[in-house]
Amino acid sequence: MMNNSIEENVILEVENLNLAYDDYQVLENVSFTAKRGNCTVLMGGSGCGKSTLLKSMVGLLSPVSGKILVDTLDLWAVDQDQKTSILKKYGVLFQGGALWGSMNLIENVSLPLETYTELGESEINDLARYKLNLVGLSGYGDFYPAQLSGGMRKRAGLARAMALDPDILFLDEPSAGLDPINSNRLDNLINELKVSLGITFIVVTHELPSIFDIADDSIFLDGQTKTLLDHGLPSHLKENSEHERVRSFLRRGTPIIKN
Amino acid sequence: MNYEGNITNQPMQGESQSSYFGFVMEGENASCTLSGDWSIENNSGFEARKEWSLILGNYPAIQVIKFKLDSKIKWDSTLVSFLHKCRNDLTASGKSIDFHGLPAGLSKLLDLSKATLSEKKQNEFSLSLELIDETINYFRNATLSIFSFFGDWVLSVLRLFTGRSQTRFQDFANSCRACGASALPIVTLISFLTGLTMAFVGSVQLEKFNAKIYVADLVCLAMVREMGALMVAIIMAGRTGAAFAAEIGSMKLNEEIDSLRTFGISPMEFLIIPRTLSLLIMIPLLTIYADVVGILGGLVVGTMVMDFSVIHYFEQTQVALQSMWEVYSGLIKSVVFGLIIGLVGCYKGMHSGNDSASLGRAVTASVVVAVTIIVVVDAMFEVSFSYLDLR
Repeated sequence: MMNNSIEENVILEVENLNLAYDDYQVLENVSFTAKRGNCTVLMGGSGCGKSTLLKSMVGLLSPVSGKILVDTLDLWAVDQDQKTSILKKYGVLFQGGALWGSMNLIENVSLPLETYTELGESEINDLARYKLNLVGLSGYGDFYPAQLSGGMRKRAGLARAMALDPDILFLDEPSAGLDPINSNRLDNLINELKVSLGITFIVVTHELPSIFDIADDSIFLDGQTKTLLDHGLPSHLKENSEHERVRSFLRRGTPIIKN
Repeated sequence: MNYEGNITNQPMQGESQSSYFGFVMEGENASCTLSGDWSIENNSGFEARKEWSLILGNYPAIQVIKFKLDSKIKWDSTLVSFLHKCRNDLTASGKSIDFHGLPAGLSKLLDLSKATLSEKKQNEFSLSLELIDETINYFRNATLSIFSFFGDWVLSVLRLFTGRSQTRFQDFANSCRACGASALPIVTLISFLTGLTMAFVGSVQLEKFNAKIYVADLVCLAMVREMGALMVAIIMAGRTGAAFAAEIGSMKLNEEIDSLRTFGISPMEFLIIPRTLSLLIMIPLLTIYADVVGILGGLVVGTMVMDFSVIHYFEQTQVALQSMWEVYSGLIKSVVFGLIIGLVGCYKGMHSGNDSASLGRAVTASVVVAVTIIVVVDAMFEVSFSYLDLR
């Protein structure tokens, strides 16, 4: 009974995933699950394959082998229509925001709504403005991405990622390049959305304060062995991980003094 | 056993401008004392490396070399990289090196410079089977990707007719303006001057046969059959094809294409279909316009230089254009040219790499490839028209 209820809660499951760019193997045999309404952090040093794993989960990089199950559907085995319907449940924030440069912010947020909903123009406009307000960009609707700072672009990217009220939000280094205040605001927003809308978050980051603030679960990817080294609650891993590298990562490399 | 050097009693000295190393042999062991000024400004490493390889070559019996530093030595990265090389050379030939005599700071730097990964050798050009294999693979992949791109394009156009497409009319209209109306000034200028130039060149030749009035035929037929379509195609390849490649390539660079995909929006339907279709429709229209302007260019020379009346010139033009096939053949070509420019520009943009240099290459290639294909296809059209007796 207990097991059943846990399985029902799983929204995303990665099974024995192998990822490579041409001949270059990036990750081997990665398996983990993400629970509905949780924030799962993918962490690890630079170049360990965090962003690559994210790319594969959002349907951009096909794995060499393995499965990515979203609500029990395999993202890389279903046909195009089913894949599109899985992608509709997704919201993705890219590292640089990746806003469409030829459109202003309102149009950026509106495009997914125009594509997938039957809403009228004014309703879409209202929704887009509401999403922009949510990330603290009220009044910037008519600005083009090139007119904004990096942090604002990132927040606008988050507003766009939330446009279709996704079930899962994938964030690639959301707080990198943000000042401490905005970075903290973003973390609070993530926690808020998780609780109020029940959104599942998959966040790639290596900002320690953020990790401890937002993560309900985490996986640690290791660049040397190219595998998933450990998983669990970061504050737990910090003290109790079997792997020195995980403990040291979560302590910024400071050695553990044992009495 | 403590004798100094079985070859010479004098310490060997490798000396460059001011860096210096003393070398003493003790059987299979040797010790090396470094002193002097080892700095980048002195270029001391170069001479020292030469000496080092001489010593290695001359005394193959050495098994262990111990390095020491003189107390007055001055050093920077030059010394570290020299010792790094010494270590690599010795370990490669199965000998050992002793760095225990070095100060702690230097040994730490040497430890840091120990390569953990074997460095990938790049740009090593060798004509081998591997290279041929790579080339074949490259062409196979390129061909596959071109065909899959074209296939995807055809399917997306079909979806447009079934109403299941994500293409937006607004994007199509914008693109029509950008590659149609906005191109009018440059098309006007170029085709007017083309007509004018042809009239001048033709008049000189035709005058010899006292057949000056046939300038009207020459300009008119050349424009509608050939020059109108070709000039517009070349202008549009440089203007619009390059713009497509640059726009789409920079969107790829900024992950904008990826973000479209993650929304389940097909870049083919959203970006490429509106652009290619608008070009496909705009290019024949521009060609008709260029034909007319080119004929007007001829008219200017005919009336102002050769003293024909406007009516006479137009009547002669009408005679020349007895069959509309002349106009249609130009238009058929222009549609094909439009398709080529649009597809090549978008393909090059979609397949540009993830850095700014490859974006530049993609834009250049889009123009070069498009113009080349256009000229080849134009020749093929003329040859087949002539064989099929379509004139």
